[in-house]
Amino acid sequence: MTTVTVSVAGEDDREVELEEIAGGAPPETPTYADLLSAVELSPHEATVLVEGRPVPEDRPVEAERVTVLRLIKGG
Amino acid sequence: MTDLALDATGLERYARHVIMDEVGPEGQKRLLDGHVVVVGAGGLGSPVVQYLAAAGVGRIGIIDDDRVERSNLQRQVIHGEGDLGRPKVESAAERVADLNPDIRVDAHETRLTAETAPDLLAGADVVVDASDNFATRYLCNDFCALEGIPLSHGAIYRFEGQATTFENDGEGPCYRCLFPDAPEPGTVPNCATTGVLGVLPGTVGTIQATEAVKYLLGVGDLLDGRLLTYDAMGLSFETVEIARNPACPVCGEDPEIESIRDVSYEGRCTVPAD
Repeated sequence: MTTVTVSVAGEDDREVELEEIAGGAPPETPTYADLLSAVELSPHEATVLVEGRPVPEDRPVEAERVTVLRLIKGG
Repeated sequence: MTDLALDATGLERYARHVIMDEVGPEGQKRLLDGHVVVVGAGGLGSPVVQYLAAAGVGRIGIIDDDRVERSNLQRQVIHGEGDLGRPKVESAAERVADLNPDIRVDAHETRLTAETAPDLLAGADVVVDASDNFATRYLCNDFCALEGIPLSHGAIYRFEGQATTFENDGEGPCYRCLFPDAPEPGTVPNCATTGVLGVLPGTVGTIQATEAVKYLLGVGDLLDGRLLTYDAMGLSFETVEIARNPACPVCGEDPEIESIRDVSYEGRCTVPAD
């Protein structure tokens, strides 16, 4: 099992098993958008950062740890 | 003290600044010579404007095209019951005059647009984004990134706040490094539909004012390269490291945006296709 640590800023870290979110259709690798879905967020409302930089949501997950920033606009 | 050119009233007003080594008379002079533009006179703008004025930031621009409504008063503490229906910039300017008559206020009852931004933001030492919509946020970012003006960013949602500072010195990230395009309209909820804890913008806006004052003083460590998140429910803060994005459309290696005129500040705030 490949585990990715998803740190949603302001929340506790979540451990996500890639095989579980792949939908049982290997060898397709889940994308960062799938990772967001696993923590109940969508690419519209959040961005995935790897080492402080955003990664395209349609790219296969390669990192072992990601940070998720929610996009908020209120002022 | 004579270099500060303050009269007795001024010395008394800023005494708690002047006695600190990190501020002193020179630092107070830097604040009095400082020019900060605050975009938005709502929840975030209320504490920002008041703390900058009280600190003695000599020139404060305030931009907002809204008028005060009763539903604002739960969090927009620069306005009061007697201001209902008045332009927010007028109410805010009046409060500044009462707080500190040393301050010059440039009150602009208008919306920040690509057409008005050069006149309203150019020349500022720091811009504080206290707006409540993506069009203004992306415009502030793009103008400040292109012109090299430090930008304090703050945003709030329900019980959650974010703040960071983009120094725009060619080294750190900008807002588009994190969020290259705005989300599709309607996909991110706003405070009007989801609510917001009234005291939340006080906390986040005060952090923004702190960053602006520190920048003018040239002391401390700014939130450049770090994004601070605040969870009011758990009363916890977290700092996320953020880095410059080589693919950023405004400050990356091959930027698509070279002028704010290139961008359509509606929808996803992108460069329109030819």
